Amino acid sequence: MTDEHVWGSGKIWAARLIVLAVFFVFWEWAAHSKLIDPILIGKPTGIVQYLWQEVFVTQSLLNDFYWSMGGTMIAFVLGSVAGVLVGMLFVTSPSTEAVLNPIFTALNAMPRIALAPLFIIWFGLGLGSKVAVGFSLTFFIVLSSTVAGGRGVNPDHITLARTLGASESQIFRKFVLPSAVPVIFNGLRLGLVFALLGVIGAEIFASEHGLGQTLSVLAASFKTNGVFGIIFLLSMIGVGISSGMSSLENRLLRWR
Amino acid sequence: MNMAMNTTQMKTSAGTAAKPAPGSIVFDKVSVAFEAAKLTAVSEFSLNIAPGEFVSIVGPSGCGKTTLLNFAAGLLPSGAGRGTLLVNGKPPVTGSHDVAYMLARDALAPWRTALGNAELGTEVRGVPVEKRRARALDLLEKVGLKGFENAYPKALSQGMRQRVALARTFSLDSPILLMDEPFGALDAQTKLQLEDVLLSLWQRERRTVLFITHDLSEAVSMSDRVIVMSSRPGRIIADVPITLGRPRSVRALQKEPHYHELYAQVWSKLEEGLSQ
Repeated sequence: MTDEHVWGSGKIWAARLIVLAVFFVFWEWAAHSKLIDPILIGKPTGIVQYLWQEVFVTQSLLNDFYWSMGGTMIAFVLGSVAGVLVGMLFVTSPSTEAVLNPIFTALNAMPRIALAPLFIIWFGLGLGSKVAVGFSLTFFIVLSSTVAGGRGVNPDHITLARTLGASESQIFRKFVLPSAVPVIFNGLRLGLVFALLGVIGAEIFASEHGLGQTLSVLAASFKTNGVFGIIFLLSMIGVGISSGMSSLENRLLRWR
Repeated sequence: MNMAMNTTQMKTSAGTAAKPAPGSIVFDKVSVAFEAAKLTAVSEFSLNIAPGEFVSIVGPSGCGKTTLLNFAAGLLPSGAGRGTLLVNGKPPVTGSHDVAYMLARDALAPWRTALGNAELGTEVRGVPVEKRRARALDLLEKVGLKGFENAYPKALSQGMRQRVALARTFSLDSPILLMDEPFGALDAQTKLQLEDVLLSLWQRERRTVLFITHDLSEAVSMSDRVIVMSSRPGRIIADVPITLGRPRSVRALQKEPHYHELYAQVWSKLEEGLSQ
């Protein structure tokens, strides 16, 4: 956009940093002067100190980070592969969809976090239970976007394919699948964020390792700086995931 | 018609004087009724199209022109059509390699480049990679898109997109081309240009063309014969031979008196049909 009323990106970044600096300085001051009890809001300097200590000195958070990320990745990959496969099955076989769709809708309506205790009983406190929760979220998101993408094929393409004498598998490979890819990609991006949500949620319930588990221990002992530190870390991970998916999408879907 | 023979014929005739390719279309008392909609789209339609002939059907919207074309392309639900229809001597079958079909909208695949789209038809029909690529490149050049081979459809104008669709259609070996208002969505200038592109492509190979349009000037300027249909249920009101020389330039025709006489003749027939 070349609107003269919009600043250049340098100015915008500078303004952004100023807003953040003002916010953190005010926070620090409010906590320091006991305007608000630091037990409730922590302290920016305390948060930085905590992160420095746990990430670079003892490196204890790195271990948790790997567990959480590993769980997220496994949940994401399993959930999206299953979601795409079942979605494609629904697109190509409407009777299968007719049978299964209401059942899946009911399953998807369950608050997934409520299943976490059950998954912990089934799969224990290791990777299994968090992967199960993440999977249960990712699967349905990717499934519904795959079905939507598969349905969204241009009817002109189908007419053209039929007059060309395309087989069912050619129609699927050359028309239905490629036209579904952008919509599936939206589902994948959401699915990854929800895989992270499921994993962290399951860890907060009960887990041997992971950022969620550490978060709940810190909160239980009123270590507010640590809680904020981990929340900050998680939001950075979320931003990283989203922008990574976007750049991958732009690279793969240059034709859009 | 066997494809191998047809291909060799095209190869030998490229550049030299073109022989008429096989590809007759015979409608004999064809009626089309859609049971579900309780609608008779066409009744007792008879028309003989000789191999290599360029025939246009014009008529008011809803007269069943597109229905006839879809019948020939094998796109109608079975049982909808009655009477005899022979496409290249055979009853119509969906996906028959005797037929290349072109839609009103370009139907380009946005995820494929111009080249990828131009070879989509031949790819589906199993033409080997090198052959179909060579043919697609040749046709893209002939439709005036040299240099745009790697452009995606989003970067092309509507006229350019329809040029790619022409290249895709002409890449196919089919002796019969069925065209459903292929230039209907274009502005007047672009339309004239593309009509000339279509004529120059057709002139080389003289394949049979059945062309549906509601644009009289388009029908008169391109065709050997113009069939005028009445409103629903569609019948033939007139079969007007277009006695203009070949090869033609649509743009040059705009200034030719005989073209305007023929146009007036077709127009008065169409008017008769509308007032009935």
